Amino acid sequence: MIRSLLREPLLHFLLVGAALFLLYDVSNGGRTDAPREIVISEARIEALAENFATVWMRPPTTVELKGLVEDYVAEEVYYREAVAMGLDQDDTVIRRRLRQKMEFLSESVADSVQPDDAQLQSYLEQNAGEFAQPAELTFRQVYLSAERRGGTVRADAEKLLAELQADRVSADPAEVGDPTLLPATMEGASPQAIANAFGQEFAQQVDEAPVGQWSGPIESGFGLHLVRVDERVITEAPTLGEIRPIVLREWQAEQRHTQNQSFRAALRDKYEVRVEGPAAELYAAPTGGSAAQ
Amino acid sequence: MRVEIRPNAGMVALAAVGALLAVAQASRAQPAQAPDVPVRGVVEDVEDVYVPVPAGQPSPQAKAYSPYAGRKYPTRVLWGDTHLHSANSGDAFTTGNRFTPEQTYRIARGEEVISATGLPARLSRPLDFVVLSDHAEGLGLITEVYNGNPALMGDSTLQRWSRMIKAGGAEASSAVTELIGAQATNTLPSVLTDPKVAGPLMMSVWQRAAAMADQYNEPGKFTTIIGFEWTPTPGGDNLHRNVLLRDGQARASQVFPFSSWNSEDPEKLWAWMEAYELRTGGRALAIPHNGNLSNGRMYAAQAFDGTTITKEYAERRQRWEPVQEIVQMKGASESHPKLSPSDEFLEYGIAGWELGNLTLGGKLTPEMMPTSFVRAGFMRGLEHEAKLGVNPFKSGIIGSSDAHNALPFVEEDNFFGKFPGQEPRADRWKDRSSTGEGEGGAARYTWQYLAAGYAAVWATENTREAVFDAMTRRETYGTSGTRMTVRFFGGYDYVPEDAESRYLAEVGYTKGVPMGGDLKPAAPGKTPLFLVAAMKDPTGANLDRIQVIKGWLDASGTAQEKVYEVVWAGDRKPGKDGKLPPVGDTVDIARATFTNTIGAAELSTVWKDPDFQRGQRAFYYARVIEIPTPRWTAYDQVRFGVKMSDDVPMKQQERAWTSPIWYTP
Repeated sequence: MIRSLLREPLLHFLLVGAALFLLYDVSNGGRTDAPREIVISEARIEALAENFATVWMRPPTTVELKGLVEDYVAEEVYYREAVAMGLDQDDTVIRRRLRQKMEFLSESVADSVQPDDAQLQSYLEQNAGEFAQPAELTFRQVYLSAERRGGTVRADAEKLLAELQADRVSADPAEVGDPTLLPATMEGASPQAIANAFGQEFAQQVDEAPVGQWSGPIESGFGLHLVRVDERVITEAPTLGEIRPIVLREWQAEQRHTQNQSFRAALRDKYEVRVEGPAAELYAAPTGGSAAQ
Repeated sequence: MRVEIRPNAGMVALAAVGALLAVAQASRAQPAQAPDVPVRGVVEDVEDVYVPVPAGQPSPQAKAYSPYAGRKYPTRVLWGDTHLHSANSGDAFTTGNRFTPEQTYRIARGEEVISATGLPARLSRPLDFVVLSDHAEGLGLITEVYNGNPALMGDSTLQRWSRMIKAGGAEASSAVTELIGAQATNTLPSVLTDPKVAGPLMMSVWQRAAAMADQYNEPGKFTTIIGFEWTPTPGGDNLHRNVLLRDGQARASQVFPFSSWNSEDPEKLWAWMEAYELRTGGRALAIPHNGNLSNGRMYAAQAFDGTTITKEYAERRQRWEPVQEIVQMKGASESHPKLSPSDEFLEYGIAGWELGNLTLGGKLTPEMMPTSFVRAGFMRGLEHEAKLGVNPFKSGIIGSSDAHNALPFVEEDNFFGKFPGQEPRADRWKDRSSTGEGEGGAARYTWQYLAAGYAAVWATENTREAVFDAMTRRETYGTSGTRMTVRFFGGYDYVPEDAESRYLAEVGYTKGVPMGGDLKPAAPGKTPLFLVAAMKDPTGANLDRIQVIKGWLDASGTAQEKVYEVVWAGDRKPGKDGKLPPVGDTVDIARATFTNTIGAAELSTVWKDPDFQRGQRAFYYARVIEIPTPRWTAYDQVRFGVKMSDDVPMKQQERAWTSPIWYTP
């Protein structure tokens, strides 16, 4: 029994609940109301007064406070009587609200769990691809406009490439090729940044171009380009210290998702669902009790 | 069908925990701020931190090899959307948007999601920055109505709406119609506008959203700007503004967004912004949009209270509203064919939107046009400036989407509509989106929505501060969704060869001012010159032409306008009337394709104003036009195998509009 309880995925929810309950109990002076008794603790009165103050920007007067307490008592009485009469049953609004509280609960638990560095480190390692820094390319490019050069553009490009490779012309991209708003050089640029400027295919080809020599021509939506990659830096995987807030954010997003799913599935597993009528076939043989999404 | 449920003791404990946590959460929420913080006066303009002229001197060759060494000017244009809604906006939620702020940021970063209607959806390219501009009015409250928050369910109307929205489909949409109607007629259930009840709820939504913005803001990579939409629609006239903060959660959380429930008067919004700055030490700006749906109120000569605008009004408007949105899914606001009859390129984004104001509660009459559209607003600005000494409408240009389904997809082949109900589906084009009251049944249809637009910002780096500052100095332009690069400079010393310079931007900044700037008064015999250059979207269509649009105040004090063709693709010759023949058309509607066999990948020139008068105040902005391409309706026809009616356009010419450069004698 105890062993199975330890395996129970709801255990830590219950533990958090117990802790909170204890806290609540202590703050309430350890008292529990008898069925026909309504206890207004000092803490309750403080809370009522504080609520009033946040709205009206001043503490309530004695008369007002008395009114607040009386109103609270009325609410409590109505609440207990309504529950006793079963008025909370079959009310869509109440059901929905309770469901929302349960969802809040699982999210709050997920959010309240602060992972330690070891957990984040292992999350970082497991998802290394997601956190990897893209390669950083430093390159120059010489642009040849098909519109300006017409049919000779490719031949011009081959000729210029040979000259650049043989160091016969200035290696300054500003001195050769055609004028353009495209950057003549990019420094430490990610593949995405290169694609944003030149297009996806160009970015891919530059990424594969040899380092330290002129190559090409590479075609883009603008025309032809001769490129010289000066440096390709494959950044080492970032350490946790460098990107902790981002790892934490991603870890929490995933936790929220998986907690919600597993909480729901775990609760769902406690029930046996029997569907009647013509819809029965559609809902036959649910596996693992996971609810339809 | 019947579900049998056997509860057990564990459930009771869990419910107790849930209740406790919810209580804890509610008590963590801080109270809403008093909406009308006293204002102590107009704050002096803070100094501009950006120095446009580079430290070096203009000899490009001198620093040939490290062109960015010492560069202080922006070298890369950033793309963003300043107008995007998550489920925290009431009208977004009720129409089916369930994306949280967190998910909305992930979408803008380029992650794939399943849309509200179940379709896989992904941006073609990530955005550089985004502003989540959820409506301040009832921020997040409809979610609470839906969830049946007890604080709100005492009201029978809200209880009914809650049921209707949960029912979905037609019932949900009539709940939305009722909701919008109630807001327009000031008959919303009082509990929703009662700060005592709604305040703490909205405050916690706002603070959570601001915290999420900080989590997703990654300087240099992806910028999230905290903001909201202020949404006054008096009598159906659109006076909406998006408010952007330069700051993070720490400052944003000290205030609560100003809503039209506080006031529908823009001057009251500016007072709130001023109070925000005084209180937090932060910065704020506002972006008006959809003058096309304002029935003449966006650039009116009267303030909200009906009095004639004053110098003080002009100063405040110019200070708080440095940029405006010229295009979005709800049409283009540049001008109207009846207002600018000699301009051939004004059909874009007019059909449907020209019928009346936002709610179609009133017709757009010819008398309203001169104070409804952006270009006319620039012209009115010159007229006011001549009288008041200050131009109230000296505002730059951006575009944005206004997507309410959290999908800022404004490319024609990837258009997911403005609302979930407009997401891709064979017959979406013919849905009626709004119908006027009487007036012969004026109506707008889904096909009239535009797959537009984006905000292009010349910022020095991709950070909140740099993007905000670029907007403050109006160094921005708007596009209909294409990501073309546009440079526009004005000065007196440019020479024709500058248009061929390999360091065009450096020359531009060194010899003059960029878009959004001010020309110095001309020395005798001098004429303003404009260095303008554009480069196509790397994955988009070629360019047809660049035009400069000039507005000026003539000798009689009347504002005039003229469109100049300044550089174009191919060897076309303008006719005697100055009009350039069309660039051609490669669109195959049957296949929804085009080819870049016409047009140019890049265009640039130095243009001299042939009609310049030294003593006349003027503005100049550039408009860059692409070759014709298929419209989203054409892609729908091909993908769904449908045939739309003949009045539905199947192609268009995408474009960019720059912020003006102003000349003041």
